[in-house]
Amino acid sequence: MGLTGIQIFKLLPKKNCKECGQPTCLAFAMQLAQGKTELSKCPYVSDEAKAKLAEASEPPIRGVVIGTGDEQYKIGEELVLYRHDKTFFNPPLIGVLFKDTEDDATIDARLKNFNEVSFERVGYILKAHLAVVKNESGDAGKFTALLQKIKDNTKKPIMAMSDDVAALEQAAGILKGTKGVLYAATEENYEKLVDIAKANELSLVLKAPIEKVAELTPKIVEKGFKDIILDTEARDAKTMFQHNTFVRRLALKKKDKAYGFPTCNLIYEMTDDEIKEATIAALAIAKYGGIIVISDCKPEVILPLAIQRLNIYTDPQRPMVVEQGIYPINEPDENSPVIVTTNFALTYFIVAAAIEASRVPTWLVIMDVEGMSVLTAWSAGKFVADAIAPFIKKVGIADKIKHRKIIIPGYVAQISGELQEELGEDWEVVIGTREAADIPAFLKEYVAKNQ
Amino acid sequence: MAFAIPKENYAGKVREIVIGKGDKAVKIGGYDSMPLCTFEGTWPNKPVVAMEVYDVAPELNAQGWPPATFEAFKDVINDPGAWAKKCLEYGADLICVQLAGTDPNAQNKSAEEAIEVVKKVKEAVGDIPLIIWGSNNLEKDQEVLPAIMEAFPNENWLFGPAEEGNYKKITASAIGYGHLVAGKSSIDVNLAKQLNILIENLGLSLDKVVMDPTTASLGYGIEYTYSVMERISLAALAQNDDKMQNPFINDLAKEAWKTREAMLTVEEEPTYGEQNTRGILMESITAIDLIAAGSSILIMRNPTAVKVIKELINELYS
Amino acid sequence: MSKIIASAAIRGAHKIVERVENKIKEAIDQYGPDKEVAYPNTAYYLPIIYGILGRKVEKLGDMPPIIEYCKQLLPEVPAEDLWIPYLGPALDAGMATLFAYDMEEALKYVDPDKCPYLPGGTEWIDPASDNIWLGAADDVIMRKRGVEFVDGSAPGFAAVVGAPPDVETAVKLAKEMQEKYLYVFMASDHNGVNMAEQLKEAGVQLGWDTRLVPFGKDTSAAIHALGFATRAAMSFGGAKPGDYRKVLLYNKNRIFAFVLALGTVTDEWYAAAAGAINYGFPTIADSDIPEILPYGVCTYEHVVSNVPHDKIVSKAIEVRGLKIVIKKVDVPVSYGPAFEGERIGKDAMRIEMGGPKAPAFEFCEMKDLDEIEDNKIEVIGKEIDEYERGVTIPFAIWVQVAGRKFQKDFEPIIERQFHHLINQAEGVLHIGQRDILWMRISDKAYEAGFKFKHIGQILHDKLHQEFGAIIDKVQVKIYTEEEKVKELLEKARAVYHERDNRLAGMKDEEVDTFYSCTLCQSFAPNHVCVITPERPGLCGAYNMLDCKAAYEINPTGPNQPLPKGEVVDPVKGRWEKIDEFIYTASHNAVEYACAYSIMDNPMTSCGCFEAIAVVLPMCNAIMVVDRDYTGDTPCGMRFSTLAGTVGGGIQTPGFVGISKLYILSKKFISAEGGLKRLAWLPKALKEFLVENGLQKRCEEEGVPDLVDKIATEEDCTTEEELYEWMQKVGHPALEMEPLM
Repeated sequence: MGLTGIQIFKLLPKKNCKECGQPTCLAFAMQLAQGKTELSKCPYVSDEAKAKLAEASEPPIRGVVIGTGDEQYKIGEELVLYRHDKTFFNPPLIGVLFKDTEDDATIDARLKNFNEVSFERVGYILKAHLAVVKNESGDAGKFTALLQKIKDNTKKPIMAMSDDVAALEQAAGILKGTKGVLYAATEENYEKLVDIAKANELSLVLKAPIEKVAELTPKIVEKGFKDIILDTEARDAKTMFQHNTFVRRLALKKKDKAYGFPTCNLIYEMTDDEIKEATIAALAIAKYGGIIVISDCKPEVILPLAIQRLNIYTDPQRPMVVEQGIYPINEPDENSPVIVTTNFALTYFIVAAAIEASRVPTWLVIMDVEGMSVLTAWSAGKFVADAIAPFIKKVGIADKIKHRKIIIPGYVAQISGELQEELGEDWEVVIGTREAADIPAFLKEYVAKNQ
Repeated sequence: MAFAIPKENYAGKVREIVIGKGDKAVKIGGYDSMPLCTFEGTWPNKPVVAMEVYDVAPELNAQGWPPATFEAFKDVINDPGAWAKKCLEYGADLICVQLAGTDPNAQNKSAEEAIEVVKKVKEAVGDIPLIIWGSNNLEKDQEVLPAIMEAFPNENWLFGPAEEGNYKKITASAIGYGHLVAGKSSIDVNLAKQLNILIENLGLSLDKVVMDPTTASLGYGIEYTYSVMERISLAALAQNDDKMQNPFINDLAKEAWKTREAMLTVEEEPTYGEQNTRGILMESITAIDLIAAGSSILIMRNPTAVKVIKELINELYS
Repeated sequence: MSKIIASAAIRGAHKIVERVENKIKEAIDQYGPDKEVAYPNTAYYLPIIYGILGRKVEKLGDMPPIIEYCKQLLPEVPAEDLWIPYLGPALDAGMATLFAYDMEEALKYVDPDKCPYLPGGTEWIDPASDNIWLGAADDVIMRKRGVEFVDGSAPGFAAVVGAPPDVETAVKLAKEMQEKYLYVFMASDHNGVNMAEQLKEAGVQLGWDTRLVPFGKDTSAAIHALGFATRAAMSFGGAKPGDYRKVLLYNKNRIFAFVLALGTVTDEWYAAAAGAINYGFPTIADSDIPEILPYGVCTYEHVVSNVPHDKIVSKAIEVRGLKIVIKKVDVPVSYGPAFEGERIGKDAMRIEMGGPKAPAFEFCEMKDLDEIEDNKIEVIGKEIDEYERGVTIPFAIWVQVAGRKFQKDFEPIIERQFHHLINQAEGVLHIGQRDILWMRISDKAYEAGFKFKHIGQILHDKLHQEFGAIIDKVQVKIYTEEEKVKELLEKARAVYHERDNRLAGMKDEEVDTFYSCTLCQSFAPNHVCVITPERPGLCGAYNMLDCKAAYEINPTGPNQPLPKGEVVDPVKGRWEKIDEFIYTASHNAVEYACAYSIMDNPMTSCGCFEAIAVVLPMCNAIMVVDRDYTGDTPCGMRFSTLAGTVGGGIQTPGFVGISKLYILSKKFISAEGGLKRLAWLPKALKEFLVENGLQKRCEEEGVPDLVDKIATEEDCTTEEELYEWMQKVGHPALEMEPLM
């Protein structure tokens, strides 16, 4: 566990100089405690304090940065075993395998998918992140040719995978400047590969049995290289789960620095079945995978997997939100009912699903209340009459309907009177159900009554 | 230095629960480590898969079932008995009779009709234990589920969901007619515990109770179900809270198969890719998440998803 | 126990056992000892004998040993001049009576042709049938009806023996019990008349479905009520046959039954009543017999006598501690949360009560159970229809509640519920509380027939529904005469004042139990509030009395009593048992918390806090900022940033989420010196605190001019400026021990 804000504060110069950008040393200390700023921003901190703080603030699991620009990602730097304890911070990379034995047409088609398959969901982009280029042929020429081709045709980072150190050395040259990944260092060749990775600013997968890791990583670190990713040679779901768990626990609970690195799981080696492969990949996402390599990047596979990645890495204390606006469901028209609720993603999803299930064409109007559920938003004063009324007028629902009736959640029935006053006489406020499950029945009755 | 597996110590153990009776009875729970952590505890019973049989035939369309699943059952959807047998062929450990048709907002089928469906299933599968799942309508469930319990006394089947609003009637009937109850609470550790206490206070032994923490699908709140299950499991195992030491049931297929991702056809959403694989993955990934979070009973639908999940359960708990 | 009753019961028991012994002999002579004897379709044999003794009576030959056992149980009839403790022997005599009755009734089934009862399993009695007697219920009926007792849809049953004086009273009694969802089990007669036959004569439908169940003409048929109860204990309570303690306790604690003795109480009735007392079922009689009031076996009184017929049901409910089931609020307008927020403008208003133009108030008062009558609602003064449209009138709602578990401290908590309970009626507007009450009733509600008395009806129905755990009776008086309202208002104001003082006067040291609140764990998983008399919940919504009441109402809910245990640290506020509780309830995340400290392991904060207290290291002081103030503060962080820093159920030394009123508590961060540390507040919060007695508290702390030394945003918004301010005004915190 890191230091508390007050403990950090005591190590600071207590000058309130504001040069760090924070108005007080206390505020700066609190930011530091939460990992939201860096100690280097304080110009007056003593060396002694620096050493103490650096030690306390060094993450138990190394953060490894992969890729550049818009396609730059960080893995590792996790602080907890269970997401409810805080959150999982850095989602794993979904890697897609390309082999140098595949023909050009196949590669081209798959590369196109790799680059283009992408979905937008609650403000996030869902896609694959990493091209994994494997030297299946054993021919370094073919390998580097494919690597070059892929490098030229994608902005996403690349992991070069070969047993041949010489081939990897050439690959490293191609990947230099991309912050890509080399696969893999082993007990036999790590000294050489560490030098290559270091020289080309790449991160490096260490492929070794789990019990050997403790021996090897300190030696690598000693050589001044820290961007290590661990492949513990798990090639089935059970071993993978166990190894990932061991690594995470050793790093966090036993404070064993030798295991303080992200992991790499080669799912494509575990099965030939597409469904099973993606299902195991999903388990790897939930259970401590860092780089997760699957065999292909079909949209129907990437979509659910990327949703899994999004869901598991959602901050439990900071809810997912959907965008404010008007959502038409079941093809509504100018006579369709209007339901208003908050932009907490779960509220939206559940209400939208209930409306869909009702088959009643409906306008769902979502209001931004910073992702709070209805009751929470109400009690926080965000989903109240004098906020809802201007929103309703601004959002433009009036242009889409002939009537002027809006349905509000039953849990905020108490605001109906005030909302009615705020909206004015043209409008009529109708009180809906408390539970989303009751929406279908409510809507059917409502529509029947209003025809 | 030899590698030492970093093991956790757990003070508690989850109750072992028996569903059904005789040779075919299904046991769940009885474990004393976090899910999948077989290296530090015993899991005498693997998670089981219950496959769904509906009281009304699903339709092949946008509001009903997509082709991937419909095809697998199309010959049996009008015959609950044959349907149940088909599920066993597909590898189901037990059968879950889904009484969605009793919902007043759906077909509003009567308790008598529900009893008929259950009777057909029972006749078809013999001693294979049944899970009888209501329509999630508080009022109707507390009418229908007790009626079925009365019609099939002492079968030791599992009935759910019993919620704070209707657990009394359902629990009282389970006591009187010799069945088990699945208590459903809404994604909250303390509410789950409170419901267990309330059910126990009514007189049903916690050896007859499983917990439904409210199951969400991948993409639609799975992370809430996932974390609440992990929290309950930690309370049960690490903190030895004996009011939380009950296995989980997750009614997941319904949730997974009503998502856009499972239901939209390629024509409707070309960018989403092939529909069958996509839908099956929505179900199988939801299931694997729930297994990782500690589920003991997974209520599932698609045979391919079931096959993969059963294989994985066997591997993970081998 | 009254000696007269004991003697009568023992005499009666002797007579019964002797009679049954003879009947058994006769039956064995006629049919032989191997002749089977059983009630229809039951797995519980003769249920009383099976449940209490664990013995199966399957044939006639099994009966004589039971009779022998009864005889052993039977005590001597006490001699006139002998003075011995009575309860034990009388209860034994009662049990012997029940065993004997069980066999006497079973004998009726030996010859099917002579059986006086309708076929086993009959639920509905054909009104055309001469025979109305059901005898023993089979297991199917027992399970089906037993479920209703377990799930609470039937609160209990009345075992009626005898008959009221006339048919009209019988019908009234039956109807009253039906309305309360009670089962009425009828047996025995008074001077040849029995209640079931009275009801039949009046054309009332009898049978299990109407809950009016005629068991039999003989007193022995009353045994079927107890047989039912005994089987329920085995079937639903998991009691094993022969585990008499569990059988009896299950009935005492879960089956809310009582005996209504209507007519002359014979020795036999006494004997049976003594048997029922073993089950915790008290007897309520309409005749003048000695009472047995002290608590002992039954939850409350054992025998209550001479109760008039119009009071007998409510008396029985009270004595048995039975909770009334109310399914729907009985008013002529729609009722539900959907109407809570509705406004009634001047144009739509039929009448206005209170507000700025007339005095009005509402008041909740605790009474003894026998001082008030449940559901008595009076309007003193004019009703709504006696007023012109559009007038404003004085108004008082005076609610009297009584309950075995009710406490004086709950009065204000119940009173605070009136607002949302009354507001849920369509066309009724309720604003304010206490003596700032303001109500309106709409034209529409008036036209629908809504009257003042319905306000009382709402309160009666809803208080029973929502607070049944602590409230047994609700009586409401509504006053509309100005004189009377003003007179009562003075009384009420005195009580309001007294209540405020009472809460303010409670000290942490003076109680041995605090309360927990884990309501917020749904989003702050490891957060635990410990609420003490001097430290209200950080959300401001729960003080300790609220928690106490919440616990009584919902014993499995988020508010639990916490015995303090040994004091660990009186200054910082730590107690042995509280430490343990926090550790467990926080799922081992929080080792302990100091109730009165901001620096050393302060309490966790969920996210609902009204305000946050923050240390100001440079000033050696603290500041407090509340949710409504969104500007800059001397600590360099605004409320929203602070909330993100301290929330989520973690301990953050130097920061603590609090309720606004806690600032005025003597235990407000008292470990660090308390109020004297306070150097900065938002202006609005400072004004709020001044209104609530900040000056007085400053005086108590020995710094009478402290109020003026506390800066607000008008004086400064940075720590440096505040430091200067403190030096300028001579703030006491500057002289205090260093905070860190």
